Amino acid sequence: MTTARPLLEVRGLTKRYLGLTAVDSLSYELGTGSMVGLIGPNGSGKSTSIDCISGFQPADGGRWFLDGREMTGLAPHRIARAGLTRTFQTVRAYDELTLLANLCVASQESDGVGWMQSLFRGQPLRSADAAAQTRGLELLATVGLADYADAPAAILSYGQRKLLAIAASMMARPRLVVLDEPVAGVNPTMVRHIEEVIQKLNAQGVALLIVEHNVDFIMSLCRRVIVLESGCKIADGPPGLIRSDPRVLAAYLGKARAAELDSRSG
Amino acid sequence: MNPPRTASGMNAVPLRALAVLAGLMALFAIPKLTGNDYLLALGVSFAALSVLSGGLNLVYGYTGLLSFAQVGFFGIGSYTAALLVTERDWSLWAGVAAGGGLATVVGLVIGYSSLRLSRHAFAIVSLSFALLCMIVARDWVSLTRGAMGIPGLPTPTLSLPGGIRWRIAQPADFYYLLLGFVVFAHAVIYLVVTSRLGRAMRAIKLNEPLAQSHGINPLAYKLLAIALSALLAGMVGGLFVFYLTIVDPSIFDFYYTETMLIMVIIGGPGSFWGVLLSSAVLTALPDLLRFTTDLRMVLYGAVLIAAMLLCPGGLGGWLHRRRVARWRQPRPAPRS
Repeated sequence: MTTARPLLEVRGLTKRYLGLTAVDSLSYELGTGSMVGLIGPNGSGKSTSIDCISGFQPADGGRWFLDGREMTGLAPHRIARAGLTRTFQTVRAYDELTLLANLCVASQESDGVGWMQSLFRGQPLRSADAAAQTRGLELLATVGLADYADAPAAILSYGQRKLLAIAASMMARPRLVVLDEPVAGVNPTMVRHIEEVIQKLNAQGVALLIVEHNVDFIMSLCRRVIVLESGCKIADGPPGLIRSDPRVLAAYLGKARAAELDSRSG
Repeated sequence: MNPPRTASGMNAVPLRALAVLAGLMALFAIPKLTGNDYLLALGVSFAALSVLSGGLNLVYGYTGLLSFAQVGFFGIGSYTAALLVTERDWSLWAGVAAGGGLATVVGLVIGYSSLRLSRHAFAIVSLSFALLCMIVARDWVSLTRGAMGIPGLPTPTLSLPGGIRWRIAQPADFYYLLLGFVVFAHAVIYLVVTSRLGRAMRAIKLNEPLAQSHGINPLAYKLLAIALSALLAGMVGGLFVFYLTIVDPSIFDFYYTETMLIMVIIGGPGSFWGVLLSSAVLTALPDLLRFTTDLRMVLYGAVLIAAMLLCPGGLGGWLHRRRVARWRQPRPAPRS
């Protein structure tokens, strides 16, 4: 960490469901502009933990800060406006709106144009709209959907929707974007395309926290990986170390198989 | 240079503006062209129902909140205006404004209290509210005079700018007054739905969690839609009862709810022009079907079921599906 203050600081995040502890005092920090993978077996608390920090589920314990500002307990739209946006595992888009409108709607709450100005369409609105359209078209070009800017989102394929969702999450120039399974259920060609898009966006300075089941995807993309099991962080480091960590192997392959592999290599 | 884009997804069509202008001129010319009171009565019904359905479209069609409360706001506005004008000698303007204001406050209270739970809670609360309104109107006799209602509402006089006093006595006067209000109400609704406020409302309806992740506060926009629809419904109620010359608990009749729901569903929830058009057609239609008074609601029901089966999304939904189909055709995407 080069800066004194981390971009995202999560301290002791806990979430319980009727006796089951889905996330168990999870703590980690992310630096500005970093790209971190969050992996773990099914039910390890990946999605729950990001639902909590983005405000979509109330946490039972812990605090979290974005750039030093406390986000604990804030509503999702407030966290988004503060600069932490996200995509969803079940891919979401506004089907009836055009792609460009899908993007423009995602920045309209952060450009400082009020309701009255929106209604009576003065200069502040016109310049904000023009800026949003420019940015929207840029992002559509980045993800490769510029040809369909004026088409309704309903025509997009599953993978294209994932790209649209990623573009929309970038619209308001957030500091940190949480991507929830960006390549789940997507064909291999599209996986490579999404990987390139993510790298391009990260190169523009936005920090990314990527939740994925596809371990290879995370290992090739991220220089730091956090591994969860049963709601606890069991490993945190560069992919090389994660791959050989016995606890990670045990979590993914079961203890017996991990021991077998270990004895074979040793 | 790209062709001009409209991020709200609506295209400005000059042809449409001309059609609207021509339609308005025709509507305002009707009393001059014919002395047909029956046509004017239809016009007044259209005014009331189209403002109600326009407001419901804002709440249900754009924001996605099924609401049965519109008729409650309509009736609250009616009673408030009638009582203030008859008992307190308020002017019609002030009575109507107070009716709209009270309806807005009530709308905000029921919206704020139920929307914190879920949109289903809102639907149930809005239904209970509408039923409660009728009971209050019937049983709070000291205020509302119960089932008898308040008959013999006076002929209102409006003070217009320039010191003109307009006595609204003839059907044509009411026709002009209500039509003027219709233009105002729909202009307000149009301004909202074509602005990015309307775009945010549609986003909330289409995918609320996604909208939240984009920084949109759903509660604020839902309350805005409810408040605006309540204001317009209350005001049109206040104007409408002076045409009826009586207000009684039947102003809360479920018939109004049914009619405006059908108008929105057939016109296409979330389609401004579709709902306006279906309001006009469905106001005229029952009177064309007058020979079947008993069967009217049955016919409405049949039309509703047919619309659900054959054309879900109504007129607006059909247009949307055509647009999607056009984009799906396997050829280079047109850019305009």
